[in-house]
Amino acid sequence: MRFLTLMFSTFREAIAKKIFLGFFIIATIIILFFLFLINVDSVEGMVNMMESSGEEGVRQLVTGFEVGMINLSYLLVITFCFIAVSSFIPSMLEKGNIDILLSKPVSRTNIILAKFLGGVLLIFLSLTYLIGGVWLILSAKSGFWNVPFLYSIPWLTLSFAIIYALIILIGVTSQSTILSIIVSMFLVFVICPVLYVRETVIFSLVTNSTIQFIINFFYYILPKPGDINQIITDIITGSPVKSYMPVYSSVLFMFAALSLSIFYFRRKDY
Amino acid sequence: MPVISTKDLTKEYQSRTFSKDKILALSNFSFDVKSGEIFGILGPNGAGKTTLIKILLGITFRTKGEVQIFGKEINDDSYKLKIGYLPENHRFPSYLTGEQALNFYGMLGGMNRIDVKKKSDEYLKIVDMEKWRKTKIKKYSKGMLQRLGLAQALMNDPELIFLDEPTDGVDPIGRKQIRDVLTHLKNNGKTIFLNSHLLSEVELICDRVAILNKGSLVTSGTVDELTSVSDTFRFTVSEVNDDLIQSLLNTYKAVIKSQKEFTFRAETGEDLNKLIDFLRQKNVLILGIEKEKNTLESMFINLIGSQN
Repeated sequence: MRFLTLMFSTFREAIAKKIFLGFFIIATIIILFFLFLINVDSVEGMVNMMESSGEEGVRQLVTGFEVGMINLSYLLVITFCFIAVSSFIPSMLEKGNIDILLSKPVSRTNIILAKFLGGVLLIFLSLTYLIGGVWLILSAKSGFWNVPFLYSIPWLTLSFAIIYALIILIGVTSQSTILSIIVSMFLVFVICPVLYVRETVIFSLVTNSTIQFIINFFYYILPKPGDINQIITDIITGSPVKSYMPVYSSVLFMFAALSLSIFYFRRKDY
Repeated sequence: MPVISTKDLTKEYQSRTFSKDKILALSNFSFDVKSGEIFGILGPNGAGKTTLIKILLGITFRTKGEVQIFGKEINDDSYKLKIGYLPENHRFPSYLTGEQALNFYGMLGGMNRIDVKKKSDEYLKIVDMEKWRKTKIKKYSKGMLQRLGLAQALMNDPELIFLDEPTDGVDPIGRKQIRDVLTHLKNNGKTIFLNSHLLSEVELICDRVAILNKGSLVTSGTVDELTSVSDTFRFTVSEVNDDLIQSLLNTYKAVIKSQKEFTFRAETGEDLNKLIDFLRQKNVLILGIEKEKNTLESMFINLIGSQN
């Protein structure tokens, strides 16, 4: 019960931060956009055109929308949710707040796990609303019920959880919201994309084998949201997934970051 | 069995991250708190009082020494089920209302929903915060926050309550209310561990007091023991004339406060009786003799001043 109380306090905190209200509003606008877009003559015309080219045409149109939605959701999750959850740990660790929390019969390990799971569950529900809503509308309007699109909800949640574990680690060690945001954003928007294109772009520019080894080393130990995004797209479009290694190594990173956070938090004086 | 018992409790902090320099916050601190008493901890800023409370609550970890609460080493969190804590400058999540905060901390304290509801009603009334229960905490004044903090500390009906500056920012009427709550708790057999800068308050409600300075125990005892001055007596008499005052000044080295009151330092009981005989011979009516007491504040200032 104490664990659940702590976990759901994350929900209340998230609601109090208006940024999640912003997420909800934008998600609703997107859902409404899809609802009314399908009714627009030109789009209906497009659907008719695709229908005239057969079931495959409808499938391509719908999956095209869905892949676009994955990328949009990913962007929304990063922009809204990362900023919102980045303050969860630093605000919990504020003097006067953490003292009361640690005086309660809740273990420090459970405090970190509850904050983590609370944040992940929150994003899962937000994504379910956004992606589930879009899926229902697209499927109802097109008659093509592409169930694999719904798999993107747990996949995107996992993608978030991996970076959230890093945010928690930075939050616990630095107690700084700004630093948590900067580091996670830098990782997601700069480091990971660069490492993602290391073989196609970077290695054609950098031929030194030692530097290539170092770049590869960082690629394998750091999370790979870009690769996971590609895997989600492959699943939705029915393309074969080349390798699940990016998922395994990113999940390993998530567990390592969480374990380090717990290890540090359990030994820290407040 | 003492409720709290420490032996050679020591806490060293690193002065900076990665630095080898240490700051000694507590040094071989040993003390006991008995069941059902209000125990006050006093000391100047940086004496180690808050560090001591935080170690007892598992918020900070000791460097060495033993700590027992309810007769057991504090190795796990189970003892916290019977503990309440009001930290100094506490900060509740500002987006909660007073009632929501009590519900949240009550549930974390191991209470079920029904008890939480019942107790939050009860304690919001006791601390006179009933009408503010639905108001967001960010709108609370310092005094209101303090009263809500006290309610939070008492929610789970704890056997041992730690209060760090409970009357900080509270007006005199609020302070009186808090003192009454503490006395009520003591009468119900609760043990209270109090850290307060308001020595007059400590003097009023504490059974025993320990004084800390630079991480070490300077002295401890009951308030009476710490404030009594063993060889000075205050005499209250019927009015004395100027000749008699001169005799008291010259012969007995008395300190005259007024024509009806003086103090006399008696090194032995015989000295005291000689003065009484003298006064009776002069037909002075003795209305009262009492051992003179220091205030806790003057004793504290003298003690700490002599150490620094």
